[in-house]
Amino acid sequence: MTVTSLPAKAPAAGAPPGPTRAPRRRRRLGYERRRAAWLMLTPALIHLTWWIGIPVLATFVLAFTHYDVLAGTVTWAGLDNFTEIFADETWNTSILHTVVYTFFTVPVAMALAVVIAVLLNAKMRARAWYRAAFFLPHITATVAIALVWMWMFEPNIGLFNAVLAMFGVNGPAWLSDPDFAMAAVIVVSVWKGVGLKMLIYLAALQSIPPETYEAADLDGASGPRRFWSITLPLLKPATFFVFVVSMIDAFQVFDQVYVLTPDGGPANATTVMTFEIYRTAFSEFRISTACAQSLVLFAFLLVLTVISRRLTGKDDDAR
Amino acid sequence: MPRKASLHMASQTSAVTRRTVLGAAFGLGVAAAAGCGGPAPSSSTDTGEVSGTIRLLTPIFEGAEGQKTLEGLLATFKQKHPKVTVEVDYTTYAKLNEKLTTSIAGGRPYDVMLMGVGWIPPFAAKGVLADLGESADGLTSRFNKRVVDPGVYQGKVYALPIMLDTRFGIYRKDIFAEAGLSAAPKNFDELRDMGRKLTKREGGKLVRAGVDILSNDLRQTFLPLMWANGGELFTPDGKVAFNSPASVAALQLMTDIIVTDKSEDFGYTQPGAATGIPLVQGRAAMMVGHNNVWLEIEKNAPDLVKDGKIGFFPIANTRAAMFQGGTLGTVAAKSQHPAAAKALVQFLADSDAALAACKQRGNVPALKALESSEYVKANPSVQFAMGNLDSAFSEGGVPAWLEIRGDFKAAIESALLGKKSPQQALDELAAKATQVMARS
Repeated sequence: MTVTSLPAKAPAAGAPPGPTRAPRRRRRLGYERRRAAWLMLTPALIHLTWWIGIPVLATFVLAFTHYDVLAGTVTWAGLDNFTEIFADETWNTSILHTVVYTFFTVPVAMALAVVIAVLLNAKMRARAWYRAAFFLPHITATVAIALVWMWMFEPNIGLFNAVLAMFGVNGPAWLSDPDFAMAAVIVVSVWKGVGLKMLIYLAALQSIPPETYEAADLDGASGPRRFWSITLPLLKPATFFVFVVSMIDAFQVFDQVYVLTPDGGPANATTVMTFEIYRTAFSEFRISTACAQSLVLFAFLLVLTVISRRLTGKDDDAR
Repeated sequence: MPRKASLHMASQTSAVTRRTVLGAAFGLGVAAAAGCGGPAPSSSTDTGEVSGTIRLLTPIFEGAEGQKTLEGLLATFKQKHPKVTVEVDYTTYAKLNEKLTTSIAGGRPYDVMLMGVGWIPPFAAKGVLADLGESADGLTSRFNKRVVDPGVYQGKVYALPIMLDTRFGIYRKDIFAEAGLSAAPKNFDELRDMGRKLTKREGGKLVRAGVDILSNDLRQTFLPLMWANGGELFTPDGKVAFNSPASVAALQLMTDIIVTDKSEDFGYTQPGAATGIPLVQGRAAMMVGHNNVWLEIEKNAPDLVKDGKIGFFPIANTRAAMFQGGTLGTVAAKSQHPAAAKALVQFLADSDAALAACKQRGNVPALKALESSEYVKANPSVQFAMGNLDSAFSEGGVPAWLEIRGDFKAAIESALLGKKSPQQALDELAAKATQVMARS
């Protein structure tokens, strides 16, 4: 910056504004820029404070109180709400269901997404159409999707049981049978979630230098060998990203469970943590208990994110 | 103009402009915030004319047809009370609590809330509802007592009745006749026997349920069976009683129908199934159902009505029993326009509005004056319900009921699926309910 390197010199009286006035102007400009920045940030800050900051703070506080939403009274509860929820069989079952749901949706959908991305990265006819088709479920309203799947799962006239009947098999009542209800929800979730993961993998695949494959070709590497030794290792950063996002997404699953199996499914077979929080707060009026449940969910997500971040960080350091 | 002065002016002009803009924005914000508080409280003028904008939450008047009915009624209300504007929020009974919770927590409860019979004690106990200042005895002279009592809490009237709804046995006379049966079951043994006899399977697949206990809400199916067997929900002093031997036997009956007799398969149907009600389609011979099943029969199988193929029976074992709920109108204690809100509740409970609501929903009028209406005369289901109100029982009765009721479904399902014995399922539910009641 030439202006700042000039020696300081007192301006002559009546002399036109010279380089010595520049710092003041720059300071003013800096002040105005900062003010403009704050002005532009203000709506977002108000939104963040009002809609996220205060509710999060309220959740933390209310989790340690007895808040009677109908009477409007608040009393200190200490750890009562936490003791209560961990003694509640339905809540503990909902944690188990959430873990089961996550265990099956995340790895299965990720594996499928890698395979689909690799296939759709190859040169083929109507490739853009296939990509759009796989991505479509992700951008379609979950309620609409769930309603269509409900029809397909319908035990008397549904598609699945009609197909099974062709092979002489009496299909189950998918969404009413506790042995099948969670599996049905997982199938829908995998189908809906695979598109976004596929897209991320596709972007990552396209950033792999083609020379790497050319070198492998020269060495006589087979297709599977190229996949296991080049593609998958180079997809590691994308895999971590997809893993973290999918885990958080899976722990927060609500809409498809709510629509496919209202009331938490047969004998609470599909009650997941978010659904139980919702039910506790809005059906049973136990806001404080729901806040305590929300903190437990928050703790789960925090631990998972930190672990993933550590793993990702190590990976970044290695590179 | 010298450059310095020019710059200064420009800067000043710019500052003034920004200040003006910020000032205007602040002013708008304050105005908007003031607007959020709603109009100033005013509900009754010196001449006694009520006024104000009131919000109505209704779990009845569902769907486009229900909305059309209510809009017509509100147009009439507007003619009577031109200075009152009603903003309607439509919901269902399944979603009613969510709407109530969020509105109350948000500090702006609905002025008028239509609720079921089990809702009044919990809300009245917490001070959510306004005392309507009516006399229970006075109301009993105009309305059916069975739906006046649920609106009374600690001697004060918090709700005006609009309609009743009931659950009882419904059967297909033609299917019974084919099986050589001439009368509906009179006790649990007959219910099971007939259920087994009427069940039809093809290649192992159920094509006709002998007894359909799944189309109706499971709790509202279990309760009339429990009452019919002599059981009670709570003791007179408010203790849990629904795990008594009589109640366990009622749940055992439901379990036997599904697990032992296989008169219906779990998952065969469910409340509000997109495939419709099995009894109407001939896929069930009898059911425990809502009185408004008649509407679906009239709409989708009018021949059944014309040929008199539908019959009704009270659930009976040690005594006859019928589930009876209802819809009542309440006013929020925090309403800014209590007089206007009460006027709306009175209007909705009055004969024209109540009759329109009952017709739309296929329910039983609460007003005694409507018992001889053409609507009642033309609806055998409603007539049956009215004729059996002496054996009607209602759920609720304790302030913690709204927290307890939601857990019945999972408990009943766990028994029907064989995951728990009826005794175990009800004992666990009772323990949880006792805990909730102690906390409340």
